[in-house]
Amino acid sequence: MNRVRWAIFIVAVAMLGVGAWLALAWAPPDREMGDVQRIMYVHVPQVWMALLAATLNFGCSVAYLFKKSWKTDALAEASAEVGVLFGAVGISLGSIWGRPTWGVWWAWDPRLTTAAILLVAYAGYLALRRFVEDPERRAVWSAVTAIVAYVDVPLIWYSVQWWRSLHQVQSSPKTVDPQMTLVLRWHAFAFLGLLIFFIWSRYQIAMAARKHELAMPAELDEGARIQTSQAAR
Amino acid sequence: MRLLELAGYLLEGASTAERVGAGRIVGGWEYVYAAYGITYAAIIVYTLSLWLRRRSAQQSEDFR
Repeated sequence: MNRVRWAIFIVAVAMLGVGAWLALAWAPPDREMGDVQRIMYVHVPQVWMALLAATLNFGCSVAYLFKKSWKTDALAEASAEVGVLFGAVGISLGSIWGRPTWGVWWAWDPRLTTAAILLVAYAGYLALRRFVEDPERRAVWSAVTAIVAYVDVPLIWYSVQWWRSLHQVQSSPKTVDPQMTLVLRWHAFAFLGLLIFFIWSRYQIAMAARKHELAMPAELDEGARIQTSQAAR
Repeated sequence: MRLLELAGYLLEGASTAERVGAGRIVGGWEYVYAAYGITYAAIIVYTLSLWLRRRSAQQSEDFR
């Protein structure tokens, strides 16, 4: 399985390498924004990945509350951390793109504000996981926090449609040059590969930490659920 | 000399007007390079942090 994980990483990195050439040399400049529009190819996919990671985190949190399992808790932790990484870089890149196009690094526009709230919420989620020592309490509290934080995700997505926003609305392949669509999709798959690799790797670290905390057997199977810790008490 | 300077200004102005008329933001490559640089740096640093944490987790398991 580790070979598959590293193969995904190598393919994703190779795709990013080719993607850099496609984005910086092959794709045409935008009619309005000129060359600065090329930031889109790394900004948009990273924000997509942050939202995807938040959705995975939400799914795992709900699943944990229904059926307590260290696996879903570890996956929730991993997806939150990777989501914060992509979210932070995505927002920073948006800020860099905003400077030459809007004339400011930051504006309290609905899209930017909701995205910043999500980042702060998930940073708080990760801080909560650090502060609570009891693994069960930590898992339950962080699951509830994650569900509350996820309310912001649809707000981010629809903010540009619901409110008069400085940020542009979602583009469609019908309105964008086919070359631009191809480069954007190429990067989206490259970042998806990285997302899978990062979450997978971080999940293994989280599971190793749980084993260490609970002194669980090295091989965790389906039966190794939260009851293990209850029995250990 | 003055005529030449004037012609230069006119040509430069016409070219600028043409670009502004097209609604183009001219240049800005430094922003593009900064964005790609931050992306690659974040990927490298995070991959390194995962690798170090994984190694440390393995070492603590071996110790146990």
